[in-house]
Amino acid sequence: MMRLPRLRYVAPRTIREAAAALADAGPEGALLAGGTDLLPNMKRRQQVPRILIGLRGVQGLRVRELGEAARLGAGLTLSEMLRDAALCAAYPGLRRAVASISTPPLRNMGTLGGNLCLDTRCNYYNQSLEWRKAIDFCLKKDGTICWVAPASPRCWAVSSSDMAPLMVALGARVTLQSAQGERELAAEALYVDDGIAYLSRRPDEVLTDVVLPPHAGLRCTYLKLRRRGAFDFPVLSVAAALRLDGDHGDAPVREARLVLGAVGSHPVLAAEAGALLVGRPLSEEAIREAAEAAARLAKPLDNTDYALGWRKRMAGPLIAAALRELRGDGPPPHGELARAGVRGRPSGAC
Amino acid sequence: MPLVGTPVPRLEAPDKVTGAACYVDDFALPGMIYGVTVRSPGPRGRIRRIRLGDGIPWEEITVVTARDIPGDNVVALINDDQPCLAAEVYNHAEEAVVLLAHRDRALLERARRQVHLDVEPLPPVLTIDDALAAREVIWGTDNIIKSYLVEQGDVEAALREADLVVQGEYETGAQEHLYIEPNGMVAVATPEDGVTVWGSLQCPYYVQKALMRLFRLPPERTRVVQLETGGGFGGKEDYPSMIAAHAALLSWKAGGVPVKIVYDRTEDMLATTKRHPSRTRHRTGLRRDGTLVALDIDFVIDGGAYSTLSQVVLSRGTIHAAGPYRCDNVRIRGRAVATNTPPRGAFRGFGAPQSLFALERHLDVVARAAGLPPEELRRRNFIRRGERLAVGQQVRDGVDLPALLERALQVSGWTERKNRFRQENQRGTIRRGLGLSCFLHGTGFTGSGESHLASTVALEGTAEGRVRVLTSSTEIGQGTNTIFSQIAADALGVGGEIIEVPRPDTAAVPDSGPTVASRTCTIVGKLIETAALSLRQQLLEEGLLPLPYTTGDFQAACAAYVRQRGALRATARYQPPPGIHWDEVRFRGDAYGAYSWAVYVAQVRVDLCTYQAQVEEFWTVQEVGRVVNPTLAAGQIEGGVAQAIGWALYEHVAWQEGRMANCRMTDYIIPTTMDIPPIHVWFEEAPYPYGAFGAKGLGELPMDGPAPAILNAIHDALGVSICRVPATPEVIYDALSREEALV
Repeated sequence: MMRLPRLRYVAPRTIREAAAALADAGPEGALLAGGTDLLPNMKRRQQVPRILIGLRGVQGLRVRELGEAARLGAGLTLSEMLRDAALCAAYPGLRRAVASISTPPLRNMGTLGGNLCLDTRCNYYNQSLEWRKAIDFCLKKDGTICWVAPASPRCWAVSSSDMAPLMVALGARVTLQSAQGERELAAEALYVDDGIAYLSRRPDEVLTDVVLPPHAGLRCTYLKLRRRGAFDFPVLSVAAALRLDGDHGDAPVREARLVLGAVGSHPVLAAEAGALLVGRPLSEEAIREAAEAAARLAKPLDNTDYALGWRKRMAGPLIAAALRELRGDGPPPHGELARAGVRGRPSGAC
Repeated sequence: MPLVGTPVPRLEAPDKVTGAACYVDDFALPGMIYGVTVRSPGPRGRIRRIRLGDGIPWEEITVVTARDIPGDNVVALINDDQPCLAAEVYNHAEEAVVLLAHRDRALLERARRQVHLDVEPLPPVLTIDDALAAREVIWGTDNIIKSYLVEQGDVEAALREADLVVQGEYETGAQEHLYIEPNGMVAVATPEDGVTVWGSLQCPYYVQKALMRLFRLPPERTRVVQLETGGGFGGKEDYPSMIAAHAALLSWKAGGVPVKIVYDRTEDMLATTKRHPSRTRHRTGLRRDGTLVALDIDFVIDGGAYSTLSQVVLSRGTIHAAGPYRCDNVRIRGRAVATNTPPRGAFRGFGAPQSLFALERHLDVVARAAGLPPEELRRRNFIRRGERLAVGQQVRDGVDLPALLERALQVSGWTERKNRFRQENQRGTIRRGLGLSCFLHGTGFTGSGESHLASTVALEGTAEGRVRVLTSSTEIGQGTNTIFSQIAADALGVGGEIIEVPRPDTAAVPDSGPTVASRTCTIVGKLIETAALSLRQQLLEEGLLPLPYTTGDFQAACAAYVRQRGALRATARYQPPPGIHWDEVRFRGDAYGAYSWAVYVAQVRVDLCTYQAQVEEFWTVQEVGRVVNPTLAAGQIEGGVAQAIGWALYEHVAWQEGRMANCRMTDYIIPTTMDIPPIHVWFEEAPYPYGAFGAKGLGELPMDGPAPAILNAIHDALGVSICRVPATPEVIYDALSREEALV
């Protein structure tokens, strides 16, 4: 049977205590939120922290404020976010992304912060110890070679968070606290294009909360490609957030942020594609141009589910589908997309 | 008030729902320690040396290798070619080489990593084509584990004279059982007291046979006890013998300390059996009017490194390859080949889903070539009562295939939906289609299997006035105990509350055969019915039972009998139905006592943006003899269809050097409730006189038909023929691209 390695468990009561415990533990420490990803990974020895700092009892991580904008504590469970009708109505794209994460039991445990900091994934990494040992380990853990790209000096494990691309698209800001103090940065700046050091979070920092932009006039959506209507991590996702110069779907675009998830080690912001839309209504031509520009950024390798090249092939059509939805065409008809946790429920403008 | 035909709730359900049910991981004995397995690193090689690494207190750990086996180093089954522990060579990845046991599971895990196998790799055979090419010979003289030939008429002449000849090649992939509970065993073994094992299993007497050979023990000192078993689907038919042997070897060497081995999900997926992958080639000749005049079928299955059950899987697959059709000229060549992959084993359907997939997919291609609707081609060729199947068996069942087809077309709204989809498919990015399949499934063991088994059951009346049904047939979630109690109660003419069905224990129950082959209800159930009538007769003859009698009268009679005359017991032993004869040498005759028959319809949508296919609605019409428990029967159909949807669209075993690469539930994709459509179930009941209260086999039937129906629906939706499962988006995209490239 797979067993957790021996470890010490620390249960701080405050964010300050948690940050101090993390600083004390050094490289041997890790934060434990819902544990839905970390604990199975530990059983397979992908991650082997010797000290776990549990966040469950920490006060101040479960803030939930909704006014013109929203502030969400990193310790909120995904289910708590889904049950917040006002939050979901204000940010329908957020609702869809959260609802698409795994299954209800895992959403009951998994947290916003945990999903934002989700370990990157790879077919050569998310395996049992014996399996990895048999092929002689990989760069991300215990080895010296990247089995996806053997000539590569870097790790290509894939950012598989559903929250990350959405928060980057929204232009959300995250707060990090350490023993030295706190800092705030754009969600986009939290991520680094590297399969191993995929977060800019310092090892002694605790992600405490996320601030979303004002929801009035915001249109946002999230589409996710995977084989089934539940359980699966994204193998490609599209998060899109727009503001138009007017109330109708045919008004010109004022601001657009398109983000691709699960095509690389970080959420990929398609800035050029977004800029292509600004000042134009969401015509089929504009959508096609933006989709093509964004899809060019998708250069996935053969290290997740689906055949090589599949994620790249699907990127353009998925981006176009997201933009049509934000134009007001209704939810996409596609089997997978329509099943992404929101059967039949229109996403609409927000 | 008869119980047969009514939805009696499952007897074991309350224990399972409340958590009281005791599965192997809940089972513990005093002083019990744990066992783990060290496995081969690659698909094929020689073991030079086993080294125990540093930093482990090896003197505390029980270490077992092939040298510690007291008897023969085989897992006895049919050919006895599979070792219990690899000694000099290993023939597949994840083959067991060394066993370790200790009370501290954390230490055990560290120790497992410190067992180093120095090996010399040998070139592996990994595909059906490699095996047939036989450049490397890994099994017998030509890598062919078994071959069969079914021949009637003159196929070559008929093909020459046919108005139309259509060829096709069809492939199916491996499939993992994914029973909810992984495999596991607890064993106590000493030279003095023999071997006892408790565990998750389908076939207690198979395990007993394997242990007897391994330890050179007589049956009375080799005891196998089933614990609550969380699903099997064939995956606990032969592999439990291996795990039981491992646990028992560790206990034997550790001086009789109880040893438990439970696999985690990854180990279970890597090391245990799968459905046989297959490749089938069809050449079909027909007359202008659609009459089939020649079926030439070449059916090959990949058996993996050892033969296990491959020859019987092959025989069922070969016999089912020509389906429920009449054709004068048929040639079916069936071959099972060996490859350096973990041995393939039993899986619901047992070869029939593979060969029926090829046939039913091919007939849609044939129908198009002949310019006939798929249902019409089938209707014109259905076998009828009194006609002969390809193996020469005359159909005696009261089946009416045209009526089953008619009903399936009617309940699915076939014509109306087809017309609507033709309109709707003109626009948008969604294409819908309907597909059907017509098929049969033989009840019980193939050929003379049931006669060789000569299954026995016993019924026992107790001093408390209760009746115990003693069989080795296991409850594995399918409802064995419930239907047995229904059958016994009705045959005795009493209420179900006085019937007990104890858990199989080879020390206490007769050998009623393995729990496989859709045989439990119909064949073992019939023996229970017979034994029950005989028990009742004993009470009547002794004048202890008035006529008519109540359940109370019956209980009093039982109690009186035991008090006055001692043990009250009746047994029944299998006799083949009259007129049934099978010639194993010529592979001809009555292959099964009866067949179940079915017509299935699938509605599928394909998304032209993501190329994903999804089953939207599913209709099943089947003739299965008498339905003993309608709720359990419908559950079997729905579950089988769901499992077959997985095989058809989602479940892709990714092989990497003969090892399953996606050995976790996050990337071996089985359908969830989000992916399973409404499944409509209709039963036609034509009672089979030699099955319990008229029942025929049921459990495997629903695995046979869905895959071809679903791929036929994809063909209907897209106009593109896809000839392999699983039809993942990549496969559908490739097929569409090839089609476009040709245009």
